[in-house]
Amino acid sequence: MLVLLALSAVTLITLDQRGDTGAIQSVRDGANDAIAPVQSAVDGAFEPVTDWWAGVTESSSLKSENARLERELAEARTAARRAVPVERENEELLRLAELDYVANVPRITTEIVAASPGNFGSAVELSKGSDDGIAVGMPVVAGDGLAGRITSVSARRSTVLLLTDPDSQVGVRFSANDTLALAKGRAGRKVLTLEILHDPDRATDEADVGIPDGDVVVTAGLEGGVFPAGLPVGRVESATKSSGDLDQRVIVKPIVEVSRLRFLDVLVWPGAGGGG
Amino acid sequence: MIQRIRLALLVVVMVIAQVALFPHLRIDGVAPDLGLVTAVAVAVAYRGGPEAGAIVGFAAGLLFDLFLRTPLGLSALAWAITGYIVGVVQGGMLRTGRWAAPVLGAAGGLVGGALFVLIGGLVGQDELVTSNSVRIVLIASAYDAVLAPLIFLFVRWALHDPRATSRIGGGGWVT
Repeated sequence: MLVLLALSAVTLITLDQRGDTGAIQSVRDGANDAIAPVQSAVDGAFEPVTDWWAGVTESSSLKSENARLERELAEARTAARRAVPVERENEELLRLAELDYVANVPRITTEIVAASPGNFGSAVELSKGSDDGIAVGMPVVAGDGLAGRITSVSARRSTVLLLTDPDSQVGVRFSANDTLALAKGRAGRKVLTLEILHDPDRATDEADVGIPDGDVVVTAGLEGGVFPAGLPVGRVESATKSSGDLDQRVIVKPIVEVSRLRFLDVLVWPGAGGGG
Repeated sequence: MIQRIRLALLVVVMVIAQVALFPHLRIDGVAPDLGLVTAVAVAVAYRGGPEAGAIVGFAAGLLFDLFLRTPLGLSALAWAITGYIVGVVQGGMLRTGRWAAPVLGAAGGLVGGALFVLIGGLVGQDELVTSNSVRIVLIASAYDAVLAPLIFLFVRWALHDPRATSRIGGGGWVT
């Protein structure tokens, strides 16, 4: 019996990995649509419990976080006021270059209805699907910060692969210097690791590029623009280089902390639909 | 027959709880494996032992796989093998005692989690095989141990045969 079960499981794994099985995907989509109402009911019924749990597991950090957020808000207000003319100029330039300005891309606001149940990936379910115009590949943001991209869509639900998922790779650029890098997620971690891309045309020794702590990395917007350029991705938390390493180990903390949010915006981005 | 229906219902309810409820009740980002513990409990409590554990593990894993991004059948395979192993091993063990449920729950979580990661690595999910996965599996198995007594209770209820209550020791489930 075990052999029979194991063989069927292996067959399914193989079929699913080949990726050309519409049948498996439609069963998955059906399951997601079927559990949607159950999920809402469970969420509603257990809200006091889950709220209490969040309080127990997170309360210690909330106070200091509140102080930090207030300080950041004040800084952000100042920066925003300063940025208005620059932003207008940027929009103008992009329009001249016939590029899309992120702020003008239509958005679909959706509610996060569920976190991915597995322990080894990072994805969330959104309350809208293809019925509302969401398609695979669209970028998902909170404010202007990148959260991830849509990887599967059923009629009433869609799944966002978050930046922190080990399958996620995003082309990014440092704002301090224009070095390009790939931001990759790691299983079960809340930070991203950067793999610096070397540009052979550049004269400078890229391995030693200075990366200031706290530098904001933004989407590079390369390769036909899977993501719009310039979306903030995260902040450099540490950049270390031990002897023998070819590159610095750069750890980036995502700007968008999805576990704290209830709503996300899906960008109806024309470049969406490609890979990576 | 009625036992099987109750057991099937229990498996569905456990997977729904794992999908819909426990993502909100994570410990350090890790959720427990309710379906896996259910399979372990069945392997221990049911007469059929290993076979029953494997079937329940397969069914629960397959249901759970529908909601994961890893290949369909990965949890099913890992949990079926775990159910089988626990069924075989516990046959030679003392099956009662207060610590049986948490110990078996933790053991199931360890074996199931390790199998999930290793099989995943074998079939090309390289990103699963990291030191961090060890941490995830350890936390999950501790969480499984805490919830195991409750799940063992549910499984005993599902498998309880009213006609067999008078038979002493004939049922084969933990009391």
